[in-house]
Amino acid sequence: MTLDAARALNKHAVSKLVSVFEDTRPQAAGQRAEILDALGPARSTVIGITGTPGAGKSSLVARLVPAMLAESDLSVAVLAVDPASHVSGGALLGDRTRTRFATGEKRAFFRSQSNAAELGGLAPTTFQVTRLLKRLFDVVIVETVGIGQSELDIRYLADHVYLVLQPLGGDEIQFLKAGIIEIPDSFILNKCDDPAANQSYYQLRSSLSLARPFDEEVPPIYRTSARTGEGVDEVATAMLAVQPRHSDAEREEYFFGRWVEDEWGATGRRYMAGRELLAGGFDAAQAQFGPGIVEWLGKVE
Amino acid sequence: MSTPAALPERDRPWIIRTYAGHSSAKASNELYRSNLEKGQTGLSIAFDLPTQCGYDSDDPIARPEVGKVGVPINSLDDFHVLFDGIPLEKMNTSMTINGTAMWLLALYVALARERGEDESKLQGTTQNDLIKEYLARGTYIFPPEASMRLIAEMYEYCLEAIPKWNASNICSYHLQEAGATPVQELAFALANAISLLDLLKERGHFDDEQFERAVGRISFFVNAGIRFVEEMCKMRAFGELWDSYTADRFGVTEEKYRRFRYGVQVNSLGLTEAQPENNAWRIILESLGVTLSRNARCRALQLPAWNEAMSLPRPWDQQWSLRLQQILAYETDLLEYPDLFDGSPVVQAKVQELMDEATAEIETILGMGGVIPAIESGYMKTALVRSMSERMSAINSGDQIVVGLNKWTEGLPSPLTAGDDGGIFKVDDKAAEAIIAGLEHTRASRDTARAEAAIEALKAAARDGSSLMEPSIECALARVTTGEWAGALREVFGEYRPATGIEGQQLGLTGDRVEVLRERINTLAEQMGHRPRIVVGKPGLDGHSNGAEVIAVSARHVGFDVIYSGIRLSPDEIVQSAVEEGADVIGASVLSGSHIDLAKQILEGLREQDADEDIAVVVGGIIPPADATELEAMGIKRVFTPADYELMDIMESIVEILEAR
Repeated sequence: MTLDAARALNKHAVSKLVSVFEDTRPQAAGQRAEILDALGPARSTVIGITGTPGAGKSSLVARLVPAMLAESDLSVAVLAVDPASHVSGGALLGDRTRTRFATGEKRAFFRSQSNAAELGGLAPTTFQVTRLLKRLFDVVIVETVGIGQSELDIRYLADHVYLVLQPLGGDEIQFLKAGIIEIPDSFILNKCDDPAANQSYYQLRSSLSLARPFDEEVPPIYRTSARTGEGVDEVATAMLAVQPRHSDAEREEYFFGRWVEDEWGATGRRYMAGRELLAGGFDAAQAQFGPGIVEWLGKVE
Repeated sequence: MSTPAALPERDRPWIIRTYAGHSSAKASNELYRSNLEKGQTGLSIAFDLPTQCGYDSDDPIARPEVGKVGVPINSLDDFHVLFDGIPLEKMNTSMTINGTAMWLLALYVALARERGEDESKLQGTTQNDLIKEYLARGTYIFPPEASMRLIAEMYEYCLEAIPKWNASNICSYHLQEAGATPVQELAFALANAISLLDLLKERGHFDDEQFERAVGRISFFVNAGIRFVEEMCKMRAFGELWDSYTADRFGVTEEKYRRFRYGVQVNSLGLTEAQPENNAWRIILESLGVTLSRNARCRALQLPAWNEAMSLPRPWDQQWSLRLQQILAYETDLLEYPDLFDGSPVVQAKVQELMDEATAEIETILGMGGVIPAIESGYMKTALVRSMSERMSAINSGDQIVVGLNKWTEGLPSPLTAGDDGGIFKVDDKAAEAIIAGLEHTRASRDTARAEAAIEALKAAARDGSSLMEPSIECALARVTTGEWAGALREVFGEYRPATGIEGQQLGLTGDRVEVLRERINTLAEQMGHRPRIVVGKPGLDGHSNGAEVIAVSARHVGFDVIYSGIRLSPDEIVQSAVEEGADVIGASVLSGSHIDLAKQILEGLREQDADEDIAVVVGGIIPPADATELEAMGIKRVFTPADYELMDIMESIVEILEAR
């Protein structure tokens, strides 16, 4: 019943399923396996949107989603991650403020997540929720907290990563070169209504060819303004055309490793090495991991 | 501050006003006429929220708010009724109107033209300060650039056409209501005025002589809180700072154009629902802050009523406040002396301290490029939310004493609230129907072609950058409606949503209660499989967001995941947020008196989505006890009023609701 309603993109039904994929209780793993089974294979692409705080990621998403809906018959889900307080564990999920879609539009779905005070740009359950949303929506957009800590996560999760930048000074571009400039597949220079944008664009272009010798050609740099809407349609078109990059098996392997690391640390990694744990599926592997490692530890001692 | 050489024997009393308007143009007209008979010397018009936000009374978002906090004005026909029997040329009319200020001024001018009165003799003020709307009051419509253009065009129109009209009133009033310290009040208001003058200069519409006069038209609307000595010093600091900025930055040579002209509404934020009779004394003391010092005395004063924390005031409550002003001005000897504080080293030192700190802050804001960048980056908003959170923390911890609220709370029951109506005012619900009928009559009887042409001309002017004043006056004469005028400009300029200011905020509260609550929330998170989620929002058109902001900050402080979407949300939007986000609770804040209608719509929305069992709803606001009972009967889990000022009590009740499930 809920599944049918979710397939029809009923918001409450989708939301309830998302909650199952965010559920941290052990018994939820079994429910997740059943739901995925019933929904069948995933069909959509995942778009990663990352960028420094203040670059205007949310405002851009607010423009992009309606543009994507207007341009196609496809449905779009957005997962937006915000940082949590280290003291209370609570988070202010503020992206929604800037991203208001029409009420009752079933083809768009917006969910905020807290990064639960972990370092990465994603929430611990972001991967889980994309497994679900990929079976319900045609395009899944994941907006990260920021950049800096764990670019690999978004690189594995998304079929295409867009880095949103605001017009910068030359020094800041130098800083970018150091690490994060290597991750994204495309660049979006937002706030192009700013007079500094033009110069920034050419600086970025020239920096890219230096910083990314591995590229055969310079990656796309889009120029947008979330304020005026300039350039938004072009990015929307590009996003709709993104093709899958990773197989689900590759993703599961990576995120299973990440999960093991978070939950069990180096010991978990050692136990995992050389074992074909994912043969019975991701959820079963998670469910069996605890008992398995405990037994192994008993034997080792 | 210089002392005029020859003092008149007695200072002239300030303009005595009460902020009033409700239900309908007809009812408000009767109220104004009776207030003028009682000796009031100017009008101060309160408009309802749909008028302030640019919606017609029959717009679905407007419907619950029609006539609630002021008078609804849909077209020039309503203005004819509102000012019936009141001579415009002789009246000083202050309009609390911002997002639609140009429209209301256009209506006023059009009314004078149709009545055959001399337009150039009109005098009064349109509040028209959008900066404080973005920061605190929430009735903005357009993005900052378009808003500033409208303000500038009104100055450009008024200077020659209506020379006694104050095109805008720079407001620090609402900043204090939103938690601003005296230094923030000084700095933000002055930075706002300076940025406006910078813009007027840049637009190049005025020659030097006109610009100097335009500086002289800048007036201010200030708050006065309970720390009345400091407030008096603040007013002196305002005067001195304005004098030096206008002289140094803008080269104004004529002393009279550098004078800091200001009106006051004293503080409502500090008024309590607990032992409400005490508010009468607070209002008196707050009045002293802006009247004691002759050289820093207000030009106009309006006072809140003792029961504002409970409901909208009744006519008797307003009369009581009016009498206080009259006693102060006419019974006491206050107006007989020159300035009482000139030469006081204590006052001088305090004024200097305020000026130094305010100057540093003004320079910071101007360094960012003025108030607009400081709004867009969230800088000013964040500072205000922090001040408000600190204030609430101090009251909660007992560091700041509020008599009857956190100290000496035992008291006898107040006979003031014992009357049949419980000491509160109820808007006549039937009034809205008559208003909508009137609006339909206007639409049906007007010359459609003329109205349509007027709207097209307005849009064309908005696009090509020419002044919108005359096209707006033509719209008014053509019986274009408020919603049509604002709608046309929304089409061209778009709508704006400013920063909420709550990101990165910390609450100063610590201690066992906070720790225990965090533990309880962690336990709940384990049981539910997710951290409890709350959607905090303000449904409807009321934009006084500081209560909702403090609740959002507090909820995060104790460990909730908080979805805060800001103001002016339709009940449907709040429901959709809560449903999509998998929220456990909705906290809705309503101060406009429309709580019953809005709560009903939220509950219905949840039921339609089949989510009413998953999502509990609590409501906070100025809610009379009878209404609280009705809300709870309807399915609202808990109602919070200003008496629930203890943030941790509020958080505890919300946690209890979740634990009970």
